[in-house]
Amino acid sequence: MNDNELSTMVRESVADIRSSTPVDQIISRGHTVRAWRRVPAAAGALVVAGGAALGVTALAPSGHTPSGKAGSHPAVVQLAAWTVAKQANGDIGITIRQLQHPAQLQATLRADGLPAHVSFTGNSGTVCQPRRVSGDVALDIYRFLERNGSDVITIDPSVLPSGVGLNIMGLPSGSSSHVVIGIQTVYASRQCTG
Amino acid sequence: MVVRTRQQDFAEFYRSAADECLRTVVVSIGDQDTARELVDEAFARAWSSWRTVSRHPAPKAWVVRTALNAGISRWRRQRREVSVPDPARAADLPATGGASASQVDPQIMAALMRLPARQREVVALRLILDLDTARTAEVLGIAPGTVMAHMGRAMAALRLDLQPELQQENRP
Repeated sequence: MNDNELSTMVRESVADIRSSTPVDQIISRGHTVRAWRRVPAAAGALVVAGGAALGVTALAPSGHTPSGKAGSHPAVVQLAAWTVAKQANGDIGITIRQLQHPAQLQATLRADGLPAHVSFTGNSGTVCQPRRVSGDVALDIYRFLERNGSDVITIDPSVLPSGVGLNIMGLPSGSSSHVVIGIQTVYASRQCTG
Repeated sequence: MVVRTRQQDFAEFYRSAADECLRTVVVSIGDQDTARELVDEAFARAWSSWRTVSRHPAPKAWVVRTALNAGISRWRRQRREVSVPDPARAADLPATGGASASQVDPQIMAALMRLPARQREVVALRLILDLDTARTAEVLGIAPGTVMAHMGRAMAALRLDLQPELQQENRP
């Protein structure tokens, strides 16, 4: 196989991929980008207000209230590879030691009420659709905290906006003492988050 | 006399470039859904800066670079290296790419995904976006010689991976 044949093969392999977004939608989104650039202070205020509103909206359908959360029972599921601990306030703490048993981790998180997709393969496949949330909302949903020398991902399912789930991705970092964990907000769906 | 508006100019650019930019980003990152999101975002930014982008010597390259940068920024924001006592490498490392099998040849995409990320970007820009070595080097911020080296290694790896008779020979 010469270079030309190989190049043609690569080109043809993606030839059927076509953009399906109408130009009007792109232009409309471009207007938003421009507006945000022009008024960063106002945009920041909107983010805070939007985040608060989303938090309230998410609480209503899930039935969680601050007092309700306090009554939840803590539970711990521990494997050699990872630990999932549900706190009394409803937060879920995840400690990952090895990139193994993603399906069990996913099932554990879903059983704890978190619409989640877990993958340790470096990609989420095509089952999950990214869904944007503002940085402030994302910070409310999940944080990386250090506890007793270990990094713990702390997730508060009660502030997930309605219809939003989390895609948790793990990858080896190349270092023997670290792994890379990525968290992405996605559209909650049966295929992606169960 | 026909007076074209900026919006018409942009719409024509979008229609002519969107598929090519999307394919380039799909090959670069492997995940078709994420690529669509990033390319849409990059075109939106192109429209918001159309006065500048329309004068760019290679606006398609601008869009692809913006999409790839947005992907890197997003990953940086959303990821964190966490220390682990005894990490194991993932047993289920990708054998195939994340792109939808219905629209992408899975064998070729898997071979592309096995390339290092930089080699994949070079392949995408050179073969899909049809940029020359100099422009590819400019987009990626690396030397032209490095582009050629990446391209050479990538083509050799792909050839080895995809050529049926070589695969037969390599089987135990």
